[in-house]
Amino acid sequence: MIRLDNISFKYAGSEAFALRDINISVGAGEFVGVIGPAGAGKSTLAQALSGVVPHVRRGDFYGAAWVDGSDTVNTTPAELARSVGCVFQDVESQFATTMVEDEILYALENFSVPREDMPERVNQALLDMGIGDLRERSLFSLSGGQKQKVALAAVMALAPKLLVLDEPTGELDPKSSVQVLRLLQLMREKRGTTIVIVEQKIMLLCEFADRLIVMDKGRIALDGSVRELLNQPDQLLELGVNCPRVTSLAARMKARGWTNREPPINIPEAERMVREAIS
Amino acid sequence: MTGLLDYQPGSSPLHKAHPLVKLLLAVAICVCGFLADSIYINIIILLLIVLCGARCGLARQIRATLKGMGALCAILFILQLPFIGSGRVWIDLPLGMTVTDQGVRFCAQLCLRLIGATLPLVMLFAVTRLSDLTNTLVAQLGIPYRYAFVLTTAVRFIPVLLGEMREVIEAQTARGVELDVGVLRKIRLIPPLCAPLLVSCVQRMENNALAAELRGFYLRKRGSGYRRYPLSGVDYAWIVSCVILLTISIIL
Repeated sequence: MIRLDNISFKYAGSEAFALRDINISVGAGEFVGVIGPAGAGKSTLAQALSGVVPHVRRGDFYGAAWVDGSDTVNTTPAELARSVGCVFQDVESQFATTMVEDEILYALENFSVPREDMPERVNQALLDMGIGDLRERSLFSLSGGQKQKVALAAVMALAPKLLVLDEPTGELDPKSSVQVLRLLQLMREKRGTTIVIVEQKIMLLCEFADRLIVMDKGRIALDGSVRELLNQPDQLLELGVNCPRVTSLAARMKARGWTNREPPINIPEAERMVREAIS
Repeated sequence: MTGLLDYQPGSSPLHKAHPLVKLLLAVAICVCGFLADSIYINIIILLLIVLCGARCGLARQIRATLKGMGALCAILFILQLPFIGSGRVWIDLPLGMTVTDQGVRFCAQLCLRLIGATLPLVMLFAVTRLSDLTNTLVAQLGIPYRYAFVLTTAVRFIPVLLGEMREVIEAQTARGVELDVGVLRKIRLIPPLCAPLLVSCVQRMENNALAAELRGFYLRKRGSGYRRYPLSGVDYAWIVSCVILLTISIIL
Protein backbone atom coordinates (compact mmCIF):
# COMPACT_ATOMS: atom_id res chain seq x y z
CA MET A 1 0.00 0.00 0.00
CA ILE A 2 2.83 2.41 0.87
CA ARG A 3 6.41 2.38 -0.35
CA LEU A 4 8.77 5.21 0.47
CA ASP A 5 12.19 4.89 -1.16
CA ASN A 6 14.88 7.15 0.24
CA ILE A 7 12.55 10.06 0.89
CA SER A 8 14.13 13.30 2.01
CA PHE A 9 12.32 16.60 2.22
CA LYS A 10 13.33 20.14 3.06
CA TYR A 11 10.68 22.88 3.38
CA ALA A 12 11.16 25.86 1.07
CA GLY A 13 13.30 28.45 2.84
CA SER A 14 14.53 25.99 5.42
CA GLU A 15 18.08 24.73 5.73
CA ALA A 16 17.27 21.61 7.75
CA PHE A 17 15.69 18.47 6.34
CA ALA A 18 12.29 17.69 7.85
CA LEU A 19 12.54 14.14 6.49
CA ARG A 20 15.83 12.38 5.81
CA ASP A 21 16.43 9.06 4.04
CA ILE A 22 13.05 7.56 4.88
CA ASN A 23 12.52 4.00 3.70
CA ILE A 24 9.23 2.41 4.65
CA SER A 25 7.05 -0.28 3.21
CA VAL A 26 3.56 -0.77 4.60
CA GLY A 27 1.38 -3.63 3.42
CA ALA A 28 -2.38 -3.48 2.85
CA GLY A 29 -4.33 -3.79 6.09
CA GLU A 30 -1.42 -2.91 8.37
CA PHE A 31 -1.98 -0.74 11.44
CA VAL A 32 1.11 1.40 11.89
CA GLY A 33 1.75 3.85 14.71
CA VAL A 34 4.23 6.70 14.28
CA ILE A 35 5.70 8.20 17.43
CA GLY A 36 8.56 10.48 18.31
CA PRO A 37 9.40 13.74 20.05
CA ALA A 38 8.10 17.11 18.83
CA GLY A 39 9.80 18.21 15.61
CA ALA A 40 10.79 14.66 14.66
CA GLY A 41 9.02 14.89 11.30
CA LYS A 42 5.91 12.82 12.10
CA SER A 43 3.41 15.29 10.65
CA THR A 44 5.59 15.87 7.58
CA LEU A 45 5.66 12.13 7.02
CA ALA A 46 1.86 12.01 7.29
CA GLN A 47 1.62 14.86 4.79
CA ALA A 48 3.98 13.09 2.40
CA LEU A 49 1.58 10.13 2.37
CA SER A 50 -1.37 12.34 1.41
CA GLY A 51 0.53 14.26 -1.27
CA VAL A 52 0.38 17.52 0.67
CA VAL A 53 4.17 17.28 0.67
CA PRO A 54 5.44 18.31 -1.88
CA HIS A 55 2.34 19.60 -3.76
CA VAL A 56 1.02 22.07 -1.19
CA ARG A 57 3.77 22.37 1.39
CA ARG A 58 6.51 23.05 -1.10
CA GLY A 59 10.20 22.37 -0.83
CA ASP A 60 12.97 20.08 -2.07
CA PHE A 61 11.69 16.53 -2.33
CA TYR A 62 14.04 13.62 -3.01
CA GLY A 63 13.28 9.94 -3.49
CA ALA A 64 10.10 8.19 -4.56
CA ALA A 65 6.83 7.79 -2.69
CA TRP A 66 4.21 5.29 -3.83
CA VAL A 67 0.77 5.15 -2.27
CA ASP A 68 -1.77 2.64 -3.55
CA GLY A 69 0.23 2.32 -6.75
CA SER A 70 0.39 6.07 -7.42
CA ASP A 71 3.54 8.12 -7.40
CA THR A 72 2.66 10.96 -5.02
CA VAL A 73 4.89 13.40 -6.89
CA ASN A 74 3.04 12.89 -10.16
CA THR A 75 -0.44 12.58 -8.63
CA THR A 76 -2.35 15.54 -7.22
CA PRO A 77 -3.58 15.40 -3.61
CA ALA A 78 -7.16 15.52 -4.94
CA GLU A 79 -6.57 12.38 -7.02
CA LEU A 80 -4.77 10.67 -4.15
CA ALA A 81 -7.72 11.52 -1.91
CA ARG A 82 -9.75 8.88 -3.75
CA SER A 83 -7.83 6.25 -1.83
CA VAL A 84 -6.27 8.21 1.05
CA GLY A 85 -8.33 9.70 3.86
CA CYS A 86 -6.64 12.24 6.13
CA VAL A 87 -7.40 13.87 9.44
CA PHE A 88 -4.83 16.41 10.53
CA GLN A 89 -4.11 17.92 13.93
CA ASP A 90 -6.26 21.04 13.69
CA VAL A 91 -9.64 19.47 13.00
CA GLU A 92 -11.60 22.69 13.29
CA SER A 93 -9.94 24.27 10.30
CA GLN A 94 -10.72 21.19 8.23
CA PHE A 95 -14.45 21.77 8.28
CA ALA A 96 -15.96 22.94 5.01
CA THR A 97 -19.55 23.39 6.17
CA THR A 98 -21.44 24.50 9.27
CA MET A 99 -23.60 21.47 10.12
CA VAL A 100 -22.57 17.96 11.18
CA GLU A 101 -24.63 16.16 8.53
CA ASP A 102 -23.44 18.50 5.78
CA GLU A 103 -19.84 17.97 6.81
CA ILE A 104 -20.13 14.21 6.31
CA LEU A 105 -21.99 14.66 3.04
CA TYR A 106 -19.42 17.15 1.74
CA ALA A 107 -16.73 14.71 0.60
CA LEU A 108 -19.31 12.14 -0.56
CA GLU A 109 -20.80 14.77 -2.86
CA ASN A 110 -17.39 15.89 -4.12
CA PHE A 111 -16.41 12.34 -5.01
CA SER A 112 -19.79 11.79 -6.70
CA VAL A 113 -20.71 8.82 -4.52
CA PRO A 114 -24.04 7.44 -5.88
CA ARG A 115 -26.87 9.46 -4.36
CA GLU A 116 -28.73 6.39 -3.12
CA ASP A 117 -25.67 5.25 -1.12
CA MET A 118 -25.18 8.54 0.69
CA PRO A 119 -27.80 8.23 3.48
CA GLU A 120 -26.51 4.80 4.47
CA ARG A 121 -22.90 6.00 4.50
CA VAL A 122 -23.76 9.07 6.57
CA ASN A 123 -25.83 7.03 9.04
CA GLN A 124 -23.12 4.41 9.40
CA ALA A 125 -20.36 6.97 9.96
CA LEU A 126 -22.42 8.78 12.60
CA LEU A 127 -23.36 5.51 14.26
CA ASP A 128 -19.79 4.19 14.25
CA MET A 129 -18.49 7.33 15.94
CA GLY A 130 -21.40 7.37 18.39
CA ILE A 131 -22.52 10.86 17.35
CA GLY A 132 -25.92 10.09 15.84
CA ASP A 133 -27.49 12.65 18.19
CA LEU A 134 -25.29 15.43 16.78
CA ARG A 135 -26.55 15.03 13.22
CA GLU A 136 -28.56 18.28 13.11
CA ARG A 137 -26.17 20.28 15.27
CA SER A 138 -24.07 23.23 14.19
CA LEU A 139 -20.33 22.53 14.18
CA PHE A 140 -19.79 25.78 16.09
CA SER A 141 -21.74 24.43 19.03
CA LEU A 142 -19.66 21.25 19.50
CA SER A 143 -16.91 20.56 22.01
CA GLY A 144 -13.36 19.82 20.85
CA GLY A 145 -13.84 16.08 21.26
CA GLN A 146 -17.12 16.10 19.37
CA LYS A 147 -15.51 18.04 16.53
CA GLN A 148 -12.74 15.47 16.34
CA LYS A 149 -15.31 12.69 16.08
CA VAL A 150 -17.14 14.54 13.30
CA ALA A 151 -13.86 14.98 11.37
CA LEU A 152 -13.18 11.26 11.72
CA ALA A 153 -16.72 10.33 10.72
CA ALA A 154 -16.42 12.53 7.61
CA VAL A 155 -13.31 10.64 6.52
CA MET A 156 -14.64 7.22 7.44
CA ALA A 157 -17.78 7.76 5.37
CA LEU A 158 -15.52 7.77 2.31
CA ALA A 159 -14.23 4.28 3.18
CA PRO A 160 -10.67 5.04 1.99
CA LYS A 161 -8.10 2.29 1.43
CA LEU A 162 -5.54 4.17 3.48
CA LEU A 163 -6.24 6.31 6.51
CA VAL A 164 -3.59 8.79 7.60
CA LEU A 165 -4.36 10.33 10.97
CA ASP A 166 -2.28 12.97 12.69
CA GLU A 167 -3.02 12.86 16.41
CA PRO A 168 -6.69 12.04 15.96
CA THR A 169 -7.28 11.64 19.69
CA GLY A 170 -5.56 14.87 20.70
CA GLU A 171 -8.74 16.43 22.08
CA LEU A 172 -10.49 13.26 23.17
CA ASP A 173 -10.87 11.93 26.69
CA PRO A 174 -9.30 8.49 27.40
CA LYS A 175 -12.59 6.62 26.90
CA SER A 176 -13.31 8.28 23.55
CA SER A 177 -9.68 7.75 22.48
CA VAL A 178 -10.01 4.01 23.00
CA GLN A 179 -13.38 4.08 21.21
CA VAL A 180 -11.79 5.75 18.17
CA LEU A 181 -8.88 3.32 18.04
CA ARG A 182 -11.28 0.37 18.39
CA LEU A 183 -13.26 1.70 15.51
CA LEU A 184 -10.14 2.05 13.39
CA GLN A 185 -9.25 -1.53 14.24
CA LEU A 186 -12.74 -2.60 13.22
CA MET A 187 -12.37 -0.77 9.91
CA ARG A 188 -9.13 -2.55 9.32
CA GLU A 189 -10.70 -5.94 10.05
CA LYS A 190 -13.90 -5.37 8.07
CA ARG A 191 -12.60 -3.44 5.07
CA GLY A 192 -8.88 -4.15 5.11
CA THR A 193 -8.16 -0.44 5.56
CA THR A 194 -4.50 0.39 6.03
CA ILE A 195 -4.00 2.76 8.94
CA VAL A 196 -1.09 5.06 9.66
CA ILE A 197 -1.55 7.01 12.83
CA VAL A 198 0.68 9.66 14.35
CA GLU A 199 0.03 9.63 18.05
CA GLN A 200 1.57 10.73 21.33
CA LYS A 201 -0.37 8.28 23.48
CA ILE A 202 1.99 5.34 23.18
CA MET A 203 0.00 3.06 25.50
CA LEU A 204 -2.98 3.48 23.22
CA LEU A 205 -0.92 2.63 20.15
CA CYS A 206 0.63 -0.42 21.81
CA GLU A 207 -2.81 -1.86 22.33
CA PHE A 208 -3.97 -1.49 18.73
CA ALA A 209 -1.01 -1.10 16.34
CA ASP A 210 0.86 -4.01 14.72
CA ARG A 211 3.93 -1.96 14.17
CA LEU A 212 5.56 1.15 15.55
CA ILE A 213 7.82 3.61 13.78
CA VAL A 214 9.85 5.90 16.03
CA MET A 215 11.07 9.07 14.36
CA ASP A 216 13.84 11.37 15.48
CA LYS A 217 15.22 14.47 13.71
CA GLY A 218 13.54 13.53 10.43
CA ARG A 219 14.90 10.00 10.39
CA ILE A 220 13.43 6.66 11.26
CA ALA A 221 15.14 5.72 14.49
CA LEU A 222 13.31 2.47 15.21
CA ASP A 223 10.87 0.39 13.19
CA GLY A 224 9.40 -2.89 14.30
CA SER A 225 6.56 -4.71 15.97
CA VAL A 226 5.18 -3.25 19.18
CA ARG A 227 6.81 -6.00 21.27
CA GLU A 228 10.15 -5.61 19.55
CA LEU A 229 10.22 -1.92 20.34
CA LEU A 230 9.01 -2.29 23.89
CA ASN A 231 11.93 -4.65 24.43
CA GLN A 232 14.19 -1.61 23.92
CA PRO A 233 13.00 0.76 26.68
CA ASP A 234 16.41 2.44 27.02
CA GLN A 235 16.54 3.39 23.33
CA LEU A 236 12.97 4.67 23.49
CA LEU A 237 13.79 6.84 26.49
CA GLU A 238 16.90 8.11 24.76
CA LEU A 239 14.73 9.17 21.81
CA GLY A 240 12.41 11.07 24.13
CA VAL A 241 9.58 8.53 23.96
CA ASN A 242 8.05 7.57 27.26
CA CYS A 243 7.54 3.85 27.65
CA PRO A 244 4.17 2.67 28.88
CA ARG A 245 4.16 2.18 32.64
CA VAL A 246 3.54 -1.54 32.26
CA THR A 247 6.71 -1.82 30.16
CA SER A 248 8.78 0.09 32.71
CA LEU A 249 7.39 -2.15 35.43
CA ALA A 250 8.31 -5.25 33.40
CA ALA A 251 11.83 -3.93 32.80
CA ARG A 252 12.34 -3.33 36.53
CA MET A 253 10.95 -6.76 37.41
CA LYS A 254 13.19 -8.35 34.80
CA ALA A 255 16.25 -6.53 36.17
CA ARG A 256 15.54 -8.00 39.60
CA GLY A 257 15.02 -11.45 38.13
CA TRP A 258 11.34 -11.58 39.05
CA THR A 259 10.11 -12.38 35.54
CA ASN A 260 11.36 -13.58 32.19
CA ARG A 261 8.25 -12.77 30.18
CA GLU A 262 8.07 -10.59 27.10
CA PRO A 263 7.15 -7.00 28.06
CA PRO A 264 3.37 -6.62 28.40
CA ILE A 265 1.59 -4.26 26.01
CA ASN A 266 -1.59 -3.79 27.99
CA ILE A 267 -2.98 -3.93 31.52
CA PRO A 268 -4.31 -7.55 31.42
CA GLU A 269 -0.90 -8.84 30.28
CA ALA A 270 0.81 -6.82 33.01
CA GLU A 271 -1.62 -8.23 35.56
CA ARG A 272 -0.83 -11.78 34.45
CA MET A 273 2.89 -11.06 34.70
CA VAL A 274 2.62 -9.69 38.23
CA ARG A 275 0.38 -12.56 39.37
CA GLU A 276 2.88 -15.10 38.01
CA ALA A 277 5.75 -13.31 39.76
CA ILE A 278 3.86 -13.26 43.07
CA SER A 279 2.87 -16.91 42.86
CA MET B 1 -24.86 28.90 22.14
CA THR B 2 -25.10 29.51 18.42
CA GLY B 3 -23.65 32.61 16.76
CA LEU B 4 -25.42 35.41 14.97
CA LEU B 5 -24.98 33.96 11.48
CA ASP B 6 -25.51 30.33 12.46
CA TYR B 7 -28.32 28.34 10.96
CA GLN B 8 -31.13 27.85 13.43
CA PRO B 9 -33.22 24.77 12.67
CA GLY B 10 -36.96 25.34 12.54
CA SER B 11 -40.16 24.63 10.66
CA SER B 12 -41.44 28.13 9.97
CA PRO B 13 -42.62 29.12 6.46
CA LEU B 14 -39.31 30.90 5.92
CA HIS B 15 -37.35 27.80 6.95
CA LYS B 16 -39.34 25.73 4.48
CA ALA B 17 -38.93 28.13 1.56
CA HIS B 18 -36.55 27.34 -1.30
CA PRO B 19 -33.02 28.68 -0.55
CA LEU B 20 -32.95 30.81 -3.70
CA VAL B 21 -36.38 32.22 -2.91
CA LYS B 22 -35.11 33.21 0.53
CA LEU B 23 -32.12 34.86 -1.09
CA LEU B 24 -34.40 36.68 -3.52
CA LEU B 25 -36.64 37.78 -0.66
CA ALA B 26 -33.70 39.12 1.35
CA VAL B 27 -32.31 41.02 -1.62
CA ALA B 28 -35.76 42.37 -2.56
CA ILE B 29 -36.33 43.72 0.95
CA CYS B 30 -32.88 45.37 0.98
CA VAL B 31 -33.57 46.98 -2.42
CA CYS B 32 -37.05 48.11 -1.30
CA GLY B 33 -35.54 49.88 1.69
CA PHE B 34 -33.21 51.86 -0.55
CA LEU B 35 -35.84 52.56 -3.22
CA ALA B 36 -38.44 53.91 -0.80
CA ASP B 37 -38.55 57.70 -0.62
CA SER B 38 -40.83 57.92 2.36
CA ILE B 39 -39.42 57.27 5.82
CA TYR B 40 -42.77 55.70 6.72
CA ILE B 41 -42.22 52.98 4.13
CA ASN B 42 -38.86 52.25 5.76
CA ILE B 43 -40.50 52.03 9.16
CA ILE B 44 -43.18 49.68 7.79
CA ILE B 45 -40.55 47.48 6.10
CA LEU B 46 -38.55 47.29 9.32
CA LEU B 47 -41.64 46.41 11.35
CA LEU B 48 -42.56 43.72 8.83
CA ILE B 49 -39.07 42.23 9.02
CA VAL B 50 -39.10 42.21 12.82
CA LEU B 51 -42.57 40.65 12.98
CA CYS B 52 -41.69 38.04 10.37
CA GLY B 53 -38.43 37.21 12.16
CA ALA B 54 -40.12 36.91 15.54
CA ARG B 55 -42.75 34.64 13.97
CA CYS B 56 -39.93 32.41 12.68
CA GLY B 57 -38.29 32.13 16.10
CA LEU B 58 -35.45 34.53 15.32
CA ALA B 59 -36.08 37.02 18.12
CA ARG B 60 -32.58 36.49 19.52
CA GLN B 61 -30.89 37.20 16.19
CA ILE B 62 -33.05 40.28 15.64
CA ARG B 63 -32.31 41.62 19.12
CA ALA B 64 -28.57 41.05 18.67
CA THR B 65 -28.56 42.71 15.24
CA LEU B 66 -30.59 45.70 16.43
CA LYS B 67 -28.23 46.09 19.38
CA GLY B 68 -25.11 45.97 17.19
CA MET B 69 -26.55 48.11 14.42
CA GLY B 70 -28.07 50.53 16.95
CA ALA B 71 -24.62 51.58 18.16
CA LEU B 72 -23.29 51.94 14.61
CA CYS B 73 -26.37 53.90 13.50
CA ALA B 74 -26.12 56.23 16.50
CA ILE B 75 -22.54 57.10 15.52
CA LEU B 76 -23.54 57.59 11.87
CA PHE B 77 -26.51 59.73 12.91
CA ILE B 78 -24.38 62.03 15.09
CA LEU B 79 -21.60 62.35 12.51
CA GLN B 80 -23.92 63.05 9.58
CA LEU B 81 -26.52 65.32 11.18
CA PRO B 82 -24.58 68.64 11.57
CA PHE B 83 -23.47 68.62 7.94
CA ILE B 84 -26.94 68.71 6.38
CA GLY B 85 -27.91 72.35 6.15
CA SER B 86 -31.10 72.17 4.09
CA GLY B 87 -34.53 72.45 5.72
CA ARG B 88 -35.89 74.30 8.74
CA VAL B 89 -33.17 75.03 11.27
CA TRP B 90 -33.89 73.62 14.74
CA ILE B 91 -30.53 74.18 16.44
CA ASP B 92 -27.54 76.34 15.47
CA LEU B 93 -24.20 74.74 16.19
CA PRO B 94 -20.66 76.25 16.20
CA LEU B 95 -18.63 76.44 12.95
CA GLY B 96 -21.77 77.07 10.90
CA MET B 97 -23.22 73.64 11.49
CA THR B 98 -26.91 73.17 12.08
CA VAL B 99 -29.52 70.62 13.03
CA THR B 100 -32.41 70.81 10.59
CA ASP B 101 -35.68 68.91 10.17
CA GLN B 102 -34.55 67.53 6.81
CA GLY B 103 -31.23 66.53 8.34
CA VAL B 104 -32.92 64.56 11.09
CA ARG B 105 -35.22 62.87 8.59
CA PHE B 106 -32.37 62.04 6.20
CA CYS B 107 -30.18 60.61 8.97
CA ALA B 108 -33.05 58.64 10.48
CA GLN B 109 -33.91 57.20 7.06
CA LEU B 110 -30.27 56.31 6.45
CA CYS B 111 -30.20 54.38 9.73
CA LEU B 112 -33.49 52.65 8.95
CA ARG B 113 -32.20 51.67 5.50
CA LEU B 114 -29.00 50.30 6.99
CA ILE B 115 -30.86 48.21 9.56
CA GLY B 116 -33.42 47.21 6.94
CA ALA B 117 -30.62 45.96 4.69
CA THR B 118 -28.79 44.05 7.43
CA LEU B 119 -31.67 42.28 9.15
CA PRO B 120 -32.92 40.34 6.08
CA LEU B 121 -29.40 38.98 5.48
CA VAL B 122 -29.00 37.92 9.11
CA MET B 123 -32.40 36.24 8.90
CA LEU B 124 -31.49 34.59 5.59
CA PHE B 125 -28.49 32.84 7.15
CA ALA B 126 -30.47 31.95 10.27
CA VAL B 127 -33.12 30.09 8.26
CA THR B 128 -30.93 28.65 5.48
CA ARG B 129 -28.19 26.05 5.68
CA LEU B 130 -25.12 27.40 3.92
CA SER B 131 -24.73 24.09 2.11
CA ASP B 132 -28.28 24.44 0.73
CA LEU B 133 -27.44 27.91 -0.49
CA THR B 134 -24.23 26.68 -2.12
CA ASN B 135 -25.94 23.70 -3.72
CA THR B 136 -28.78 25.74 -5.19
CA LEU B 137 -26.44 28.43 -6.49
CA VAL B 138 -24.47 25.69 -8.25
CA ALA B 139 -27.22 23.33 -9.37
CA GLN B 140 -29.94 25.83 -10.25
CA LEU B 141 -28.16 29.06 -11.11
CA GLY B 142 -25.18 27.35 -12.73
CA ILE B 143 -22.64 29.34 -10.71
CA PRO B 144 -19.29 27.47 -10.71
CA TYR B 145 -18.87 25.56 -7.44
CA ARG B 146 -15.66 27.30 -6.47
CA TYR B 147 -17.33 30.75 -6.52
CA ALA B 148 -20.39 29.57 -4.61
CA PHE B 149 -18.09 27.90 -2.09
CA VAL B 150 -16.03 31.09 -1.67
CA LEU B 151 -19.22 33.07 -1.05
CA THR B 152 -20.56 30.75 1.63
CA THR B 153 -17.12 30.21 3.16
CA ALA B 154 -16.76 33.98 3.62
CA VAL B 155 -20.01 33.98 5.59
CA ARG B 156 -18.97 30.87 7.53
CA PHE B 157 -15.71 32.49 8.54
CA ILE B 158 -17.34 35.51 10.21
CA PRO B 159 -18.26 33.66 13.44
CA VAL B 160 -14.94 31.81 13.25
CA LEU B 161 -13.03 35.08 13.14
CA LEU B 162 -15.12 36.50 15.97
CA GLY B 163 -14.27 33.39 18.00
CA GLU B 164 -10.57 33.81 17.20
CA MET B 165 -10.75 37.48 18.22
CA ARG B 166 -12.38 36.50 21.50
CA GLU B 167 -9.60 33.97 22.13
CA VAL B 168 -6.89 36.54 21.39
CA ILE B 169 -8.56 39.04 23.74
CA GLU B 170 -8.87 36.42 26.48
CA ALA B 171 -5.22 35.45 26.04
CA GLN B 172 -4.12 39.09 26.28
CA THR B 173 -6.37 39.70 29.28
CA ALA B 174 -4.84 36.67 30.99
CA ARG B 175 -1.44 38.29 30.41
CA GLY B 176 -2.45 41.47 32.16
CA VAL B 177 -3.77 43.67 29.32
CA GLU B 178 -6.73 45.66 30.68
CA LEU B 179 -9.40 45.92 28.02
CA ASP B 180 -12.30 46.95 30.26
CA VAL B 181 -11.10 50.53 30.61
CA GLY B 182 -13.36 52.68 28.50
CA VAL B 183 -14.11 52.88 24.82
CA LEU B 184 -11.22 55.15 23.76
CA ARG B 185 -8.53 53.10 25.52
CA LYS B 186 -10.09 49.95 24.10
CA ILE B 187 -9.90 51.41 20.58
CA ARG B 188 -6.17 52.08 21.13
CA LEU B 189 -5.55 48.59 22.49
CA ILE B 190 -7.38 46.65 19.78
CA PRO B 191 -5.06 47.27 16.73
CA PRO B 192 -2.04 45.44 18.23
CA LEU B 193 -4.31 42.45 18.82
CA CYS B 194 -5.07 42.30 15.11
CA ALA B 195 -1.59 40.93 14.26
CA PRO B 196 -2.01 37.57 16.06
CA LEU B 197 -5.57 37.41 14.75
CA LEU B 198 -4.39 37.93 11.19
CA VAL B 199 -1.69 35.27 11.52
CA SER B 200 -4.06 32.68 12.95
CA CYS B 201 -6.71 33.52 10.34
CA VAL B 202 -4.32 33.09 7.41
CA GLN B 203 -3.15 29.80 8.91
CA ARG B 204 -6.72 28.65 9.36
CA MET B 205 -7.72 29.59 5.82
CA GLU B 206 -4.71 27.78 4.39
CA ASN B 207 -5.55 24.66 6.39
CA ASN B 208 -9.16 24.95 5.33
CA ALA B 209 -8.26 25.16 1.65
CA LEU B 210 -5.93 22.20 2.03
CA ALA B 211 -8.57 20.11 3.79
CA ALA B 212 -11.13 20.96 1.12
CA GLU B 213 -8.70 19.89 -1.60
CA LEU B 214 -7.99 16.63 0.19
CA ARG B 215 -11.69 15.96 0.31
CA GLY B 216 -12.22 16.30 -3.41
CA PHE B 217 -13.04 20.00 -3.76
CA TYR B 218 -11.81 20.13 -7.36
CA LEU B 219 -13.74 16.99 -8.32
CA ARG B 220 -17.15 18.46 -7.48
CA LYS B 221 -19.68 18.43 -10.31
CA ARG B 222 -22.80 20.51 -10.78
CA GLY B 223 -25.21 17.65 -10.17
CA SER B 224 -23.31 15.74 -7.49
CA GLY B 225 -25.15 17.30 -4.53
CA TYR B 226 -27.27 14.96 -2.42
CA ARG B 227 -30.25 17.18 -1.76
CA ARG B 228 -32.73 18.25 -4.42
CA TYR B 229 -34.53 21.58 -4.28
CA PRO B 230 -37.80 21.65 -6.21
CA LEU B 231 -39.86 24.87 -6.17
CA SER B 232 -43.25 24.51 -4.45
CA GLY B 233 -46.45 26.52 -4.82
CA VAL B 234 -45.58 28.48 -1.67
CA ASP B 235 -42.23 29.39 -3.22
CA TYR B 236 -44.01 30.89 -6.23
CA ALA B 237 -46.22 32.84 -3.82
CA TRP B 238 -43.04 34.22 -2.15
CA ILE B 239 -41.69 35.24 -5.57
CA VAL B 240 -44.94 37.08 -6.40
CA SER B 241 -44.73 38.82 -3.00
CA CYS B 242 -41.21 39.99 -3.85
CA VAL B 243 -42.39 41.45 -7.16
CA ILE B 244 -45.33 43.23 -5.47
CA LEU B 245 -43.05 44.61 -2.73
CA LEU B 246 -40.57 45.95 -5.28
CA THR B 247 -43.34 47.51 -7.36
CA ILE B 248 -44.85 49.27 -4.33
CA SER B 249 -41.44 50.60 -3.32
CA ILE B 250 -40.80 51.97 -6.79
CA ILE B 251 -44.24 53.59 -7.01
CA LEU B 252 -44.15 55.13 -3.52
